[in-house]
Amino acid sequence: MRRKLDFKLYVITGESYHSSRDMLEVMEAALRGGADIVQLRDKKISKRELLEKARSLRDLTSRYGVPLIINDHPDVALAVNADGVHLGQDDLPLSVARSVLGPHRLIGISTHTIEQARVAERAGADYIGVGPVYPTGTKPGRQAVTTSYVSQAAAEIQIPFVAIGGITTDNAEEVLKAGARRLCAVSAIVGSNDPEGVCRNLLEQITGWKSGSSAEIPAEEREMVVTVNGRQERTKATTMLELAEHYKLADKHIVAELDGDIVPRQSWRETPLRIGASVEFVHFVGGG
Amino acid sequence: MRNKTDGIERYSRQIRFAPIGISGQQRLGEASILVVGSGALGASLSQHMVRAGVGNIRLVDRDYVELSNLHRQTLFDEEDARSALPKSVAAVSKLRRMNGAVRMEALVADVNKRNVEALLMGVDLVLDGTDNTETRLLLSDACFTHGIPLIYGGVAGSGGMSAMFVPGDNCCLRCLLGEREPTEDQEAAPTCETLGVISPAVELVAALQAAEALKWLTGNRNALRRTWLTADVWEFSLKEWTLPPGRESCPFCGWSEMEDTTVVDRFDAQNGNLRLQAGLVPDYAPPSSEEGYPVVLCGRDTVQVTLNQAFALPEWKARLEACGCEITANNGYLLRASTPEGERIIVFQDGRALIQGAGEMDRAVEVCRLYLNDHERSHPIAPKTGF
Repeated sequence: MRRKLDFKLYVITGESYHSSRDMLEVMEAALRGGADIVQLRDKKISKRELLEKARSLRDLTSRYGVPLIINDHPDVALAVNADGVHLGQDDLPLSVARSVLGPHRLIGISTHTIEQARVAERAGADYIGVGPVYPTGTKPGRQAVTTSYVSQAAAEIQIPFVAIGGITTDNAEEVLKAGARRLCAVSAIVGSNDPEGVCRNLLEQITGWKSGSSAEIPAEEREMVVTVNGRQERTKATTMLELAEHYKLADKHIVAELDGDIVPRQSWRETPLRIGASVEFVHFVGGG
Repeated sequence: MRNKTDGIERYSRQIRFAPIGISGQQRLGEASILVVGSGALGASLSQHMVRAGVGNIRLVDRDYVELSNLHRQTLFDEEDARSALPKSVAAVSKLRRMNGAVRMEALVADVNKRNVEALLMGVDLVLDGTDNTETRLLLSDACFTHGIPLIYGGVAGSGGMSAMFVPGDNCCLRCLLGEREPTEDQEAAPTCETLGVISPAVELVAALQAAEALKWLTGNRNALRRTWLTADVWEFSLKEWTLPPGRESCPFCGWSEMEDTTVVDRFDAQNGNLRLQAGLVPDYAPPSSEEGYPVVLCGRDTVQVTLNQAFALPEWKARLEACGCEITANNGYLLRASTPEGERIIVFQDGRALIQGAGEMDRAVEVCRLYLNDHERSHPIAPKTGF
């Protein structure tokens, strides 16, 4: 089973923003501030240097129990037992990376249009980057996709997506308003004198927005996407029982599973569904 | 230990398997198990257990061997089908040749509320090779009442499921599936009748069950999967989900004060609860089959009924012949007769009969009325409605 991916604040290394300070020191400050996934990106150094940095970051992130993603290099990711790779549109195709990495590691894809997002989702990406939302020095010359692409992704994409590109503590609210629930920042975090404080600020905005926003939708109109027997379905059901009733399964001999655990029939009524939940209903097999 | 007479040599490769070793083998030799059903799963399961050297094995089955069983029921051959031997009897005669040191008991009976407690007596583990949900629920109730683990297996088509229910560790099958018995489309669950079945699916599920049984019986509790597993050999898939713990309020897997009770007590306790919960009237039917109602058997056009009369088989033979039936098998365990209309009637010693080839339930009931009814007492066998 591929590990379940959940994160809120994604931080990427950017040593050019803090030439006077050690990369590990800066990243540890970000982790203390609550960054919950880390990517090593350095396109300028040799692979051997990258490997060394990857090793030390692996140690650091392991101590914090946070996934480590390696930009561009599946071989480096495997060598240091990183959790996955992040690939751009011109890097190794996802299928190739998957065959190199096997089924269990994470693969993230940078996307700049909704079409690219759909392709990545269909191809089995574990998450996508959506951006650059604002013009950024990290990706000079790349036109910003603006928050309208963030909204498109929020409406359509079911796998985790993270908004990236020029995001700061000042504009984070705008990005969250557009529908992002995960943010990534580079320069705003690692270029700051207080990476820990910036992370804490961003994380507060993300979590604050999360709890505030869902209350705005009236209960009867709330729909969520869940995966039922491998297919994505929109549903108004809020419990396992309501979902089973929707499929007319409530009075049959059915074995039901929610995110890997069997849910006894008697508990269906009290078992809530959450967005992105994976449910399987199987008929009890009677032959013998 | 009886197995000692064979020497340890016959199990040497099994003993060399580190998690079993000598001590595991000894435990196997001292163990007693019940295998319910001697059909496809049951035959394969009992073969695994007998060859592995489980000391005492009780087999119970309500059916007899037919040609249509042979593609998947690996213990039987054409001669068994010709003689129409009861499955448990035919199975044991084969199993004895595989391992003479194992003590075996073959019972020809339908497992029901009246006999389940006796069947479980002295047993360390129950292996499920039945062909219907109702019996499985009854086994779950009884096993949880007496603290005996039950290893469920089910097959249909090219796939199946398996799970081990350990009282005290997991919830019971009744909690998992719901207390309500399916009514209208009873056995809407896939069966060999609806989907057919292929032999590799049977062997896969039996192998999964047998592996858990070996773990349990050899004291390798930590190796148990503790999951619900579904698998398919055709469009290959394998899924595993964690089994939930017991439910506090359940009379079977919960931890309410229910010591020294029987299955029936707990049924009653549960029905009481159900009635309270659902506001049902007091004559609510208990959630198990009332013996005497026709039951459909897996894989064939077969209906089982309980006879109102207690005649010996020779008496039945005379009666059926008098009605114009032709006797096609008479082996001391059962009597098989063909009606002039072409249905087959099988009468067992324990007062049950199977009606085969009737097509419709109505016709099966009619066959009962015509050939098996006690004319003096004239008690027609009431069919269960909503069949």
